[in-house]
Amino acid sequence: MKFELQYRPSHALATVHLAPGETLRAEASSLVSMTRNLQVQTSFRGRAGSGILGSLKRGFLGGESFFTNTFTAVGQGGHVSLAPKLCGDMVVHELTPPEELFIQGSSYVAAPDSVALDTEWQGMKSFLSGESLFFLRAYGAGPVLLNAFGAIQPIDLDGELILDTGHLVAFTGGIQYEITKASRGWIDSFLSGEGFVLRVWGRGKLYVQTRNPQEYGRSLGKRLPARQA
Amino acid sequence: MQHKIEHGPAFSWLRVTLERGESIRAEAGAMVMRSTQVEMETHLNAGYKPGIFQLMWAFLVALLRKLFGGETMFLNDFSTQAAQAEVVLAPALAGDILHKRMNAGQKLFVQAGGYLASSGSLNAQLRFGGLRTLFGGEGLVLLECTGEGDLFVNSYGGITPVEVRGSLTVDTGHIVAFDGSLDFKVGSVGGLKSLFLSGEGLVCRFFGQGTVYVQSRNLESLASWISPMLPG
Repeated sequence: MKFELQYRPSHALATVHLAPGETLRAEASSLVSMTRNLQVQTSFRGRAGSGILGSLKRGFLGGESFFTNTFTAVGQGGHVSLAPKLCGDMVVHELTPPEELFIQGSSYVAAPDSVALDTEWQGMKSFLSGESLFFLRAYGAGPVLLNAFGAIQPIDLDGELILDTGHLVAFTGGIQYEITKASRGWIDSFLSGEGFVLRVWGRGKLYVQTRNPQEYGRSLGKRLPARQA
Repeated sequence: MQHKIEHGPAFSWLRVTLERGESIRAEAGAMVMRSTQVEMETHLNAGYKPGIFQLMWAFLVALLRKLFGGETMFLNDFSTQAAQAEVVLAPALAGDILHKRMNAGQKLFVQAGGYLASSGSLNAQLRFGGLRTLFGGEGLVLLECTGEGDLFVNSYGGITPVEVRGSLTVDTGHIVAFDGSLDFKVGSVGGLKSLFLSGEGLVCRFFGQGTVYVQSRNLESLASWISPMLPG
């Protein structure tokens, strides 16, 4: 399996070259084009055994689609091109066991069968913060294709950092995190416009996106006509 | 203080390295990340070392701006007591960041939504007389930036500096910032007829010598393009 990224960073397009018999799972609606010999199967399940409940959980909590498309190259090699919904860059993270990758829900695009996905419940605190912090946990061996809103900055973390939740793309298992207020006081945290932030620490790789989709939406949204009730 | 503007022009962000005792001020909500050694403090946009009168005036102006321009009322101060620490800032929209080193006595006008960050004694205040344009819808709401320090302005789209020698006409939605040395007048591109039929909104005519920073996209145009496509 080979990944080719074009048109970075503004409108990245990923073309995945599959050898005969190789399989790629991708988020529904991310397909741009594919060769004719690719067999497509749409399924509820993200991985063997997780079933409908598993995919519902991923859909509701993880912010990704309920459906997964599986592309298999039949007879000969082929390729499939994938694109995310928003403007921005894409990146391929190569997973090797026992490493785990925690992915912010809407940043996941595709991975082969050898990579398993699970949803991590971040507890009540993240739910109340309104930042919808649900991570997909990817583990196993193989490449994982991620997308971002804006450009992607990979960071080799060895220490500690405060990060706006809306700018997080993914991080490896060696990094721990905690949801915390942006300032010392509650009032300041609210007025600062930052609300809740993540304190991340440890050693590992961190992917950060240069734009926050929520903030972009709010900036544009206030110039649009009010939604009718 | 050192800074780097990266990932431009589509998705620029501003990376600032602060040394002990240094600080940078930024628009609320602009922080992407910071070292844990960087302290953040939130306050009302009342200018550099404000008195009680300025504070009250700032509150009134901030409220009006919040109501009409959708601007935030608050600024965050980032500072450090460590030998070196980093803070990264980004605007909300897709676009670039303009850096301008300001000296005492210099003046720069910035489109109200364009302020990202500043250092030193820089003051970014709503221009006197700006309240009038506030009610004019698409009119030009300007921040008057004076003082000494580094100023960072964000745009929607790429930024082109255009030298004015004599005069220049720019669509108000494409203005990022311009030198205070320029005279300017807001009006329609032609007569009353052209205001409605030419598809151009208001334009700003500049006179004199100085630089106008023009952005390659117009947020109002994007909003009016998307609006009819929304359900409801």
